[in-house]
Parts: sequence; structure tokens; C-alpha cells
Amino acid sequence: MGNFHQWGINMTWATSITQQMTKPLILGITIGTSLCIASANAEIGYPEKEELKFGFIKLTDMAPIAVAYEKGYFEEEGLYVTIEAQANWKVLLDGVIDGRLDGAHMLAGQPIAATIGYGTQAHIITPFSMDLNGNAITVSNDVWAKMKPNIAKQADGKPVHPITADSLKPVVEEFNAAGKPFNMGMVFPVSTHNYELRYWLAAGGIHPGFYAPHKGDTSGQIDAQALLSVTPPPQMPSTLEAGTIYGYCVGEPWNQQAVFKGIGVPVVTDYEIWKNNPEKVFGITAQFAEKYPNTTIRLTRALIRAAKWLDDNNNANRPEAVKILSQPNYVGADYDVIANSMTGTFEYEKGDKRAVPDFNVFFRHNATYPYYSDAIWYLTQMRRWGQIEQDQSDDWYKDVAAKVYRPDLYAKAAQSLIDDKLIPASAFPDFSTESGFKAPQTHFIDNLVYDGNQPNAYINSFTIGLKQGDKL
Amino acid sequence: MSTFLDISGVDMVFPTPKGAFTALKDVNLKINQGEFVSLIGHSGCGKSTVLNIVAGLYQASSGGVILKNTEVKVPGPERAVVFQNHSLLPWLSAYQNVELAVKQVFAGKMNKIEMKQWIEHNLQLVHMDHAMHKRPGEISGGMKQRVGIARALAMQPEVLLMDEPFGALDALTRAHMQDSLMEIQSQLNNTVIMITHDVDEAVLLSDKIVMMTNGPEATVGDILSVELERPRNRLALAQDTEYNRLRSEVLKFLYEKQRKVEPLPQTKQVNKMQDMSRQKINKVVTINNG
Amino acid sequence: MNSLTSMTHNRLMERGWMARVMVKMAELSKVILLPFIGIAIFLSVWTVTANSIETSLGQFPGPVAVVTQFENLYQEHVNEREKAQAFFERQETRNAARLAKDPSYEAKIRGYTGKETFWDQIVTSLVTVMSGFILAAVIAIPLGIWMGLSRSLQAAINPIIQIFKPVSPLAWLPLVTMVVSAVYVSPDPIVSKSFINSMLTVTLCSVWPMIINTAIGVSSIDSDLINVSKVLRLSAITHVQKIVLPASIPMIFTGMRLSLGVAWMVLIAAEMLAQNPGLGKFVWDEFQNGSSDSLARIMAAVVVIGFIGFLLDRGILALQRWVSWDQ
Repeated sequence: MGNFHQWGINMTWATSITQQMTKPLILGITIGTSLCIASANAEIGYPEKEELKFGFIKLTDMAPIAVAYEKGYFEEEGLYVTIEAQANWKVLLDGVIDGRLDGAHMLAGQPIAATIGYGTQAHIITPFSMDLNGNAITVSNDVWAKMKPNIAKQADGKPVHPITADSLKPVVEEFNAAGKPFNMGMVFPVSTHNYELRYWLAAGGIHPGFYAPHKGDTSGQIDAQALLSVTPPPQMPSTLEAGTIYGYCVGEPWNQQAVFKGIGVPVVTDYEIWKNNPEKVFGITAQFAEKYPNTTIRLTRALIRAAKWLDDNNNANRPEAVKILSQPNYVGADYDVIANSMTGTFEYEKGDKRAVPDFNVFFRHNATYPYYSDAIWYLTQMRRWGQIEQDQSDDWYKDVAAKVYRPDLYAKAAQSLIDDKLIPASAFPDFSTESGFKAPQTHFIDNLVYDGNQPNAYINSFTIGLKQGDKL
Repeated sequence: MSTFLDISGVDMVFPTPKGAFTALKDVNLKINQGEFVSLIGHSGCGKSTVLNIVAGLYQASSGGVILKNTEVKVPGPERAVVFQNHSLLPWLSAYQNVELAVKQVFAGKMNKIEMKQWIEHNLQLVHMDHAMHKRPGEISGGMKQRVGIARALAMQPEVLLMDEPFGALDALTRAHMQDSLMEIQSQLNNTVIMITHDVDEAVLLSDKIVMMTNGPEATVGDILSVELERPRNRLALAQDTEYNRLRSEVLKFLYEKQRKVEPLPQTKQVNKMQDMSRQKINKVVTINNG
Repeated sequence: MNSLTSMTHNRLMERGWMARVMVKMAELSKVILLPFIGIAIFLSVWTVTANSIETSLGQFPGPVAVVTQFENLYQEHVNEREKAQAFFERQETRNAARLAKDPSYEAKIRGYTGKETFWDQIVTSLVTVMSGFILAAVIAIPLGIWMGLSRSLQAAINPIIQIFKPVSPLAWLPLVTMVVSAVYVSPDPIVSKSFINSMLTVTLCSVWPMIINTAIGVSSIDSDLINVSKVLRLSAITHVQKIVLPASIPMIFTGMRLSLGVAWMVLIAAEMLAQNPGLGKFVWDEFQNGSSDSLARIMAAVVVIGFIGFLLDRGILALQRWVSWDQ
């Protein structure tokens, strides 16, 4: 945890890059567009590094890596990849930084946080976004029993979705009044899950607490009504079962596992919190990309092909993918547990299985394209909850995004796949016009609108959270 | 001509938790080359201490030992010791036990074949050639002691030091061993210092019997010259008047002059030994527990 | 008459034979039957208990479930080997294709990138534990001998040993990991860091019993034997070689047996905690997977871990018999 402190130093560093970064951003975008044209006919050279080791956390959204391996996409690029499960997100990130791993399945927030120096400092980039959605929030049976009376019912007696945290609020208040901490688990301080859980809680009027790294407080529990702490994904169900936490936000199959084990009830998916939210990314060090450019493009190609395979023909390959993932060396949970979410459905309360066709999106909706606006959303949440303790200009947000997210690399890989006639151009964004910013997005659970071009305005729009000018 | 082996003015003081304990006080003894000397005295009178000082295993607190004009300071093979409990290395055969000594003493002076012959010769001398490839665990106490003697003889020592070599043996075996020793001695004519408790043994084997007073502050009480003709025969000597006179001299010394007045005159010495062994045990226990 | 005697004789012979058979049977029953009964009772108690324990991952595995998993694990191993075969064939084709295009290319065969099977992990664990143990022995035995010979060294080192001996591997591991990643920096390491981590943790935990027992063995050598050595004026090296080592072999082996037991236990814990390849990681991965087979697979690993621990101990015992003079 000692890593979370040197904000002062890092800030100086961050301001200094602010000045340097305005140019690279513009440059980055121009490169993004120009490179793909330039590379239209340029063949990609042999990989500089052929033997690679990729890390992952046992979650279904690591699927593109497993599929790229099992379907031979890596080998077709001349890459001999070993895939290794990691104990937790910190170990995984440290592995990539110290070179034990060449790349890894990462939380979207990890490369961003590492690059701005929150937590471990290292310049990590992502040429490939791994998926959309795929997380859910699960509460224990007891908490669910207390929440249920507060939720409106459909004609068939099942709860109306999406379930908001308004129904949880009285439960949390009851805990607080009794002097009992309401503990919840999330997987990492800069994880999507942390921000999603916070978003959901805050939208329901429950304060999830602030971070104050400049004061050495990295617990994220300042002013909190619900206390969030880190638990590695595969341990979520057993931690819930043990009563250490009353709920958690995690990726699959660990919500469905709770249903199967009968120890908890998933109440809301992240699809309902923010429709088609970006989830994991594939992270490598900037140094790696610089040293092994061909390898970088080639591994991106393999991952794009794997992601496409996962979504092809309306998820027709998903059962096969589930079979791969259920192998002990990948996710290893039972086929049924993984299939529950991967094949277009999601089971909430036992027996309440609903169709959520876009619960796991690997390729469609340009899921693999690393949008700057996605990176900026994570930065806004870091600012909202105090992980970024000072105000930053809109440009700073954009600069950081451009430093971490590398659509130029993606475009190069995609263009070569188009040239090789492996994937039609129509499957990708139009690289000649793509700005890297999604149009203002609506579908949030609190009905706010997110425009990646105006991060500060977005930050100011939240009821709970730090706003411009706020400082703890 | 100076004396072959000269023990002069030897004091031995052991530090104990209860203060210094003087085991020996002013021990003086001169031994000629080829002489067989017995040290006799009650147990605890410091006989072994004298022997150990000659061996170099102990350092005298004052005074010293001169062997052939050289002061004895450290142990060495020219003062071979036959220990009371044989002290053979249990993991080596009789042959290998002797070999260890021979290799050490004659390295560079003998070739391999000579060494082998010399080892076998010495084992023959003690009548152990038939069992020379047996380990100590496989042979009897008397045989072990024979091997111990063979090992000592094989070093071709200037002085052979024997610490109650036959003390642990039964009477019959002891008699055999004594006969063997006389036989060997008649051939080699070694200078020998032997500690014994046994009056008959002392008279039978020795040229000189050194009788020690009781400790503490033990010293040489009297020296008796044994001028019986060699070879000596124990049966014949049993009727010999000179033999019997010598025998009774020694007995008189032990049981009249140096009669043990206190029931346990050597308690201090015993205590000291116990302390030492206890220290050792304590040490082991400390390591073990810790 | 004659026939009568021969009959009696025969009967007597028979009786003698019968008696001998009975004795043999009694002996056999001690060696085979009683352990067999013990195991049978254990298996039935296990089955009954397992049936009555319901976990969130399903019923606790009984012997049958575990045997099934052994079969599965073996089958997975076979399948993986076939995949490896195919992997190498593909690689050769690919290398050939590239060589045709790019003659300057130095084709090489890369190691199989697939998962480690259960059997691979057993081998990994064994190699790790033996490396760690041998390293510990190489440090401990000379140091123990030195300590046994020198009272002052013993006095100096003993407190350190007493403090470090009870430290759990779980405490060493983070330190080892950090130090190894700081010190063991090589672009193309011969052995992986995780191997070094596990090995050093094993060494750190298993070195103490060997030092202690060796030191005790050496310091309690019969003083007469030491005197023999002094009289012979053996050099320090010969003294150690001819007197000290053989005399303290039994204690050294006692230490080695203790250490190897510790080493094996520590290794499994270290592999679990640090996700280093091996049986410990297998157990941890299965626990994390939380599939309905996980418990049975973990139980299978438990049986194997126990059995290997037993074999390692027997191995040291056999080595002791072979090396030492008194057994």
C-alpha cells in the first residue's frame, strides 16, 4: 500500500507531462488515421519476440486470450504464448511491470492509474479493449431479504429491473444505526468494479467513501456509509459465505457462482448501471510496444480475431468458448456456471433467469477499439472519489487518455486483418474519421449523460462525489 | 646421559565451580628406555592424569615432561596411547583402524605394500590376523583391546602409554592379554607406562612399580623395582618368594600406608567429572530445545 | 506296521507343515492384513463422513470421487501430451515455411506453451523440494560440523538459529520474492524466478534442523575418539573426514529427515501462497476454480502429497542405511 502515497511527486510529473502531451495527443490521432493508410499494403514483419507469457485473472472476460490460444490465432502470428493465472490484480500488474509477464488481461483502470502514478508507477498502454459489460453486484441472502420489500414487482411477481441502490439504502442505514459497518467487496482500488459499485451506491444515495492519497489514506472509506475493500475475484463467494462482506461487485462467473452455491443474489448487472460500459483491456508496457512493434501488432491481431470469434454469428461459438473457459487452467468453474452468463442469459435470484444478450460483449459495438472517451470516464471517477486529489484541466484528461489508450496500434492491426481479408472493414470503426471519442452516452442508471470531451462538466454533475474545486 | 623420559615437578590443578582442585602435586618420575613402568594407586588418585600429561592430552599446571630432551606439549604418535575402552573407530574394520594410524605416521616413509605388511604384522603380533576385516562391533572386548594395542604398536612409539588396558576384561581374558603383552614386550622391548589397579598385573609385567598416594594433591608415594627374571611365568611365580614379597609390598602400600580413610576421598574429582558430563548434556539439551 | 509309521510320520509332517503355514500366516497378517483392515476402516469412515458433509461446492468427495479424479487427471495428462505433440508438429511446419521464405531465419523449437498437468506439477514440486533441500544440506552440514567443533562459533550462531528456526515459510516468502526479483535479474534466465523463490523458501525453512542436529552430533562425539585423533595428529580435514563425519552420520541423518519433512510441507505452502508452479499451486487453483470437481481433485492432491512425503522420508532412510556404518 506504500505505493499509493507519492502523489506530490507524481503530480509534478503529471503537470510536466501536461505540457508535453498536448502535441502527442494530436499527433496520436493523426498517426492513428495516417498510419492505417500508410500500412494498407505494408506487411507486418516477423515478431521480434516469439515466446510470450500473458497473465490473467480467473474471470470469463479473459476469454479472448484463451480463445486466441486455443484457436491457434497466436501461433498463426508466430507467437508462442503461455497463459498463466495470477493470484490477484496487484500481482498481475507487478508481473507486467517487472517483465515476468509480457502482457495481461487488465482492469481498464489499471493502465491509466499506473501511468498517472496512482498505486504502482509505470507506463502501461493498451492497444486492445477486451470486452464490454460482464460484471454484476451480488448481495448476501440476508441483505437481499431486507432489500426485497423495497423493490417494486412486475405482474409475474418478479422484481422490476433495474434494481437501484435506493432499495439497499434503508438496509445500510439500519446497519449504520446499529453501529455495524456495512462491508462490501470489490476487486481492486482502480477496478471497474470499484467505480461501478460506487456509481450504483451513490446513485441510490449511499456514500461509498472518498480516497485521500495525499493524506496517506488509500482505504477509500472517508465519509463512507458502505465500506468497500479489496477481495480477489475468485475469493468473493467464499468471503461472502464467511460473512466478512455483505455484497460485492465482480465479473463472471463469480456472481453466478453465488447463485449456484445459494449464498447470495445478484441484484444488478453493470449493463444496467451503464449500458455497454468498457470493462477489461489488454495491457502491455510502453517499453514493450516500442521494443517489439511487430509483436505488439501481431498479438493485437490475434486478440481481435479471438474477440470476433466469440461474438460471431450471434454468439454461436459461445458454448465452445464456455467449454474452453471451464478448463481448470483457465477459469475452471463448472460449465453450467460459466454458461449461465456467457450464453446471453443471466440468473438473478435463483430461478429468475433473464435474457441479457449483451451481458458479455467481446467484439460487436466496436468493443475492442480503445476509445479515449472510455479512458477519460475512468479518470473522471478517479477524480470523483478522490484518487486524483486535485482539479485537472479537460486537456489533462485527454492527454492521459492518449498516453495510455493506443487506437493507432489497434488500427494498424485491424487494417492488416482487413488487408488479409480475415475480417471485413465493416466490422471496424471507420479509421479515417474515428476521433476516439464516443458520442455523448446516455444509458446510465441515474440518467446522467457522459460526454468524454467535457470531463470536468461531467464530474460536476454528480450529487455525491468531489466536484471541481473540492479538496479533501 | 640424560633420562629417556623425565617427569619433573608436575602439578595439575583443575578449575571447578567450587574453586581450584589440585589433583597432582609435585610428581617426579624418571623412566629409562625400554623400561616397563606400572602406575598403581587407588582410583581417583590421578594416575590417568599423569598418563594424559605424558600423552600431551593435558597440560601440566606447572612442571613438565621431557622425552628424549624434548618437552612434551601436544599429543603425538611417538607417545601412542592404548585407551581403557579400546577407542576403536566403530565404522572401520580392525585393519582399517590400524591403517589409519599407519598412514598417518608412515606417510611418505612406506609404500602401500610395506604399509599393508606392517599393518598385518602388527595385527599378527596381537593375534588378530584372523579377524582383521571385522568391525569392532563384531568382535569381543578382548579382541578390541588387542586391536587397540596393535594400533598403538603400529605407530612405533617411543613410549607406549596404556590406561588400564585390561580393566574392562574378565579375569581369564585379562590373563591371556597379559601373557600376550609380555610376549610382545620381549620382542620389541618398548618403553611402557601402564596404569593398573591390579597388584598381580603390576608385579607380573613391570620393571618398576610406581605407587601413588591418594588425592587430592596426589604424588609418587614409592617406587618399587621388580627384578624378576624374564620371561616370567605366572604359575611359576605364584610360588616365588620374591614375587610374593613384591606383591605384599604393594599391598601394604595400598592398604596400610595409603588406606582410604574417608569413605569417598575422591568426591571432588567425581564431582568434577559429573560436572563436566552435565555441562555436555546441558549443551546438547540447549541446542535441542531451543 | 511300516505303513502305519509312515502314515503317522506323514501326519506329523503335515502337522509340522500346517504349523509352519500358520506361523507364516500370522506373520503375513501383521504385515498385510492389519494395515489392510486399517485402510479399509479408514476408507469406510471417509465414505460415510464425506456423504454427510455438504459444502457449497457439493458433497465432500469420498474415495470413489477421488479415484475418478485420478483417472481424469491421468487422462488430462495424456491429452495434454497429445496436444504437445501436435504443437511441436505445427511448429516444425511453421519453421519450415518461414525458412523457405526467409533463409536467414534460425529456426528453433520452443517449449510447449500449454498447461502443466498434474503429473508435471508433481515433478516440478519434487525438483523444487530436492533442490531446496540439497542447497540447505550443502549449507547446513558444513556449518553444523563447524559449530559442533567450535564452541565459540556455536555460542555465536545458536541464538540466530533459535530465532529463525520457528519462522513460518509464509513470512519468508514475501522477502524472498522481493529479494529475488531485485537480485536475480537476467534477460534470459536459466531457471524461472518462481522456482528460485520456492527453492529458497524451502531452503530457509529446512536448513535449521540439519544445522542443529549436525552440531549436536558433532559436539557429542566420544571424547576418546577425539583423543585418538589428537594422538595421531590428524589434520583438521582428515579429522572431520575420518572421525567427525562418520561419528555424526546418524545425527546428521536425523536432521536430514526432519528437514526434508519440513521442506516438503513448506514447499506446498509456498507454492500455494506465491502461485509458484507445483502441487501447492494445483491445490490453490482448484480451490479458486470452485468447480464441482474441485474438492475431489484437491483431495487427490492431498493423497499424492502425503504419499510423496512418505516416500521422501523412506528415501532418506534408505540412503542412511546405505551410507552409515551402524545400520
